[in-house]
Amino acid sequence: MTDTIFDFNGSKNAGWSQPSPLTDDSTSHIPESMRRNRLPDWPRASEPELVRHYTKLSQKNFGIDTGFYPLGSCTMKHNPRLNEKIVQNPGIDRIHPLQPEEQIQGLLAIYYEMQEMLAICSGMDAVTLQPVAGAQGEFTAIRCIQEYHRERGDNHRDKVIVPDSAHGTNPASASMCGYQIIEIPSANDGRIDLDALRSAVGDDTAAMMITNPSTLGVFEPEIAEAAEIVHSAGGQMYYDGANFNAILGKTDPGRMGFDAVHYNLHKTFSQPHGGGGPGSGPIGVKEHLSKFLPSPLVNRKELPSGDIGTVGDGFLYHWEAPASSIGKVQQWNGNAGAVVRAWAFYRRYGRDLERMSEHAVLNANYLRFRIMNPSSDLNIHAMPIEGCPAEVVKHEFTLSMSPLKDATGVTGKDVAKRLLDFGYMAPTLYFPQIVPECLMFEPTETESKEVLDKFAEDFHAILAEDPEILLTAPHTTPVGRVDEVWAARNLILRYPKDEPSS
Amino acid sequence: MDQLPNLGREQEMLDIMGISSMKDLFEDIPVEIRSEGTLPLPPPQTEEEILMDAERLLGANVNLDSRPSFISAGLSRNFVPSMVPMIATRGEFLTSYTPYQPEVSQGMLQAMWEFQTMISELVGLPISNVSMYDASTSAAEAITCAVRVKSKKVEMPNTVYVSELIPPHRMSVIENYTQGVGIDIRKIPHDEDGFLDLNAATQASGSCAIYVEQPNAFGILDEGLLKLREVVGDKTAIIVGVDVTSLGLVEPPGNWGADIVVGEGQPFGIGPTAGGPIYGIFACKKDFLRLMPGRIVGQSIDTEGKTAYTLTLSTREQHIRRHRATSNICSNETLIALMGAMHMALLGPVGLETLSTRILSSTRMTIDELSSVEGLELAFPKSPVFREFAVKVPGKSSEALSHIFELGVIGGFDLGQWWPDKGSWILVGCDERTSESDISLLKKSLTSWVEESS
Repeated sequence: MTDTIFDFNGSKNAGWSQPSPLTDDSTSHIPESMRRNRLPDWPRASEPELVRHYTKLSQKNFGIDTGFYPLGSCTMKHNPRLNEKIVQNPGIDRIHPLQPEEQIQGLLAIYYEMQEMLAICSGMDAVTLQPVAGAQGEFTAIRCIQEYHRERGDNHRDKVIVPDSAHGTNPASASMCGYQIIEIPSANDGRIDLDALRSAVGDDTAAMMITNPSTLGVFEPEIAEAAEIVHSAGGQMYYDGANFNAILGKTDPGRMGFDAVHYNLHKTFSQPHGGGGPGSGPIGVKEHLSKFLPSPLVNRKELPSGDIGTVGDGFLYHWEAPASSIGKVQQWNGNAGAVVRAWAFYRRYGRDLERMSEHAVLNANYLRFRIMNPSSDLNIHAMPIEGCPAEVVKHEFTLSMSPLKDATGVTGKDVAKRLLDFGYMAPTLYFPQIVPECLMFEPTETESKEVLDKFAEDFHAILAEDPEILLTAPHTTPVGRVDEVWAARNLILRYPKDEPSS
Repeated sequence: MDQLPNLGREQEMLDIMGISSMKDLFEDIPVEIRSEGTLPLPPPQTEEEILMDAERLLGANVNLDSRPSFISAGLSRNFVPSMVPMIATRGEFLTSYTPYQPEVSQGMLQAMWEFQTMISELVGLPISNVSMYDASTSAAEAITCAVRVKSKKVEMPNTVYVSELIPPHRMSVIENYTQGVGIDIRKIPHDEDGFLDLNAATQASGSCAIYVEQPNAFGILDEGLLKLREVVGDKTAIIVGVDVTSLGLVEPPGNWGADIVVGEGQPFGIGPTAGGPIYGIFACKKDFLRLMPGRIVGQSIDTEGKTAYTLTLSTREQHIRRHRATSNICSNETLIALMGAMHMALLGPVGLETLSTRILSSTRMTIDELSSVEGLELAFPKSPVFREFAVKVPGKSSEALSHIFELGVIGGFDLGQWWPDKGSWILVGCDERTSESDISLLKKSLTSWVEESS
């Protein structure tokens, strides 16, 4: 093993200088039995070595900045750099969440504006910015729904319905609240099966969790009817906002009949994904659920005329606890830095957020058309088939690579790996599970026509290649195909030197 | 609007598809549920205008660096080396996502594997994941993890004991995460010196787990916890919440019997950031590995036998296991953990010890200075502390804090907000940046409050 951060042979002391402690004798205040005997085996390297180490690592990492990232369901759109600049401001970076309200009026004003904006875009009545990821938003909303049923004495409602095409976080989040999961099959065309839903609901239904457009990228035309079925059984409708990028300004979960919704600020509102996070997963709810929201929310009071207030808009901003709040799901008030980035992103579009969704949908349909209509002189082994027949898709679409697998033995995974050689991130692989050999593409609104044209062209070239090249792909990446089974079998989860015994 | 490369080219693209207008792309939305008109929001702004608004709004906040500040309560007014934000926000890291394709994600995977090693070394346990959301969710998921591992093996299944001194907001997170799955949370009292009541802690023997914090909410380092393994026996999991920066001086819990160590990672890597994004650490013994939450990176090989890294043990996770997953966590705090790894690597072992000593020294000096003020009283004068301590003031602590803020000092946190019976207590937090002049200004302003209120 070479080139890990633990292999440097440089400085034996910390390479980075610090001021001296204020006193010399403080250590004597720690009882002797509690003192650490042996310092951790952390790297011993200087700043020049570390900057180069991490720069080299970054060069072995693929991001939106390095190339097209059509990872379906993840909305990998461009991250404007203005937003990164703004969060370096000490007015957010050097703020403590427990500072009194008078000291953080600017932050509260941004929170208030974001609560209002998200409520407007989703047709909800109240919004909390506390959940720090989409999955935590789901969990929070289901907790609110749970308290709603309890308050009404409906303790027997112990089941949550999810379609089989739902994101895995939906059943996992409901299960963490103690609910049993009823999975209902999709209809043959991938859409919600209303008959299956009718036979699944009952007086034990607490909620249904569903995303629309579905994970197949198709709008559910019968969503209002689905909501009606669940509501008439006394259940609540939960909207998974992972696919919100498709519908802003065109429709909203409120109109569709939902009672609660989460937003992924890292998808729709471009908080950078950072290799796996941070995210931000605010939720919005209808009036009847609002008193259960996590605490606190931000509200404001109009100041007497003539007093413009700290932020200059004539209002005093303050925290407010919902009457029957479930309390906290995160220690503080959410990922404030992500909220501020999302605020800066939304301000670029303002009332024209609709244009963003239009272009996300335009690009998805265009890419789908380009891929499904190759020029005839290519020697493609087998064309994919659409995961779901639809005249138009929304922001993403699915393709099944089964015909290729049948013709050549090449799987969806092989195609995905080969795309890496062409300088692309692979689409989402094998999700949703109801589409065999599934690839899910989401180009987002920030890719140009030329990128989409070139991608379709390269995709076709791959489908015409010698299967052997695909089966052994990738060939040009920093490492070849990684053996995941080996990793799970050997479980080398840290640098092996001086491993503490368990 | 400058984020749309195809603006103005819509018709060209539609023509290729044989679709007549943009409207047709949304014809699948039933008329009854379509939005009418334009969103009632302000008009779009340019980068220049947004920056101006942002600077005005954020400039209205009082930042901790603008005056002497003693507010901590679980976060640190730390100093982050300049390299950290500059290199961690390189686009290749910043704009990547979960490394589902390891062949083009070796950079972040290796950096997270190195992070796991550094956390493992720090706390003295062999396994670490790549981060939780924060210290509170990490503590809550440690509890549910311990219950999954232990419930079938102990006399008191689904029962967990926790220290009564856990900050209320963290307790609330724990309650939300545990209530639905039927976990019974029972509290263990502390004595008048703020130490865990070890006699009471014997009740935890035979339960799934006990959760304690070292230092606790009042900054107290509790020597008695070193005997906790003896007190609760071998079957009950010990979960310890730590201040990561104390571990340059204080024995890591892995060395005195902890099974799971959690804590707030924020002091390594990022400013307090109004409470997020920050990151929770989660480290454990091997027995907990297969039922733990979060992403884990393992070393592997590629087809040529070359060393490579990949996510591993994913079958625990929601995208595969769905409702039987060990957690619903998907997006985590990887980028902030990367910042943490860079900060820890720059410090190195000796730098960590220096950092811990600086924080302890400034805490001791602040205690010494405030002890000499007639009218102030330390809440736990005999107990060793790290970073924080509680002091009783005359009158209400909220009023005392307003008074000293008028004099230019952010004096700490009003503990009455957490515990109504402690309305005259202030939690004073120190850090590596606390200077002698900061301490003397705090002393002067608190002296002024004592005089004012007498």
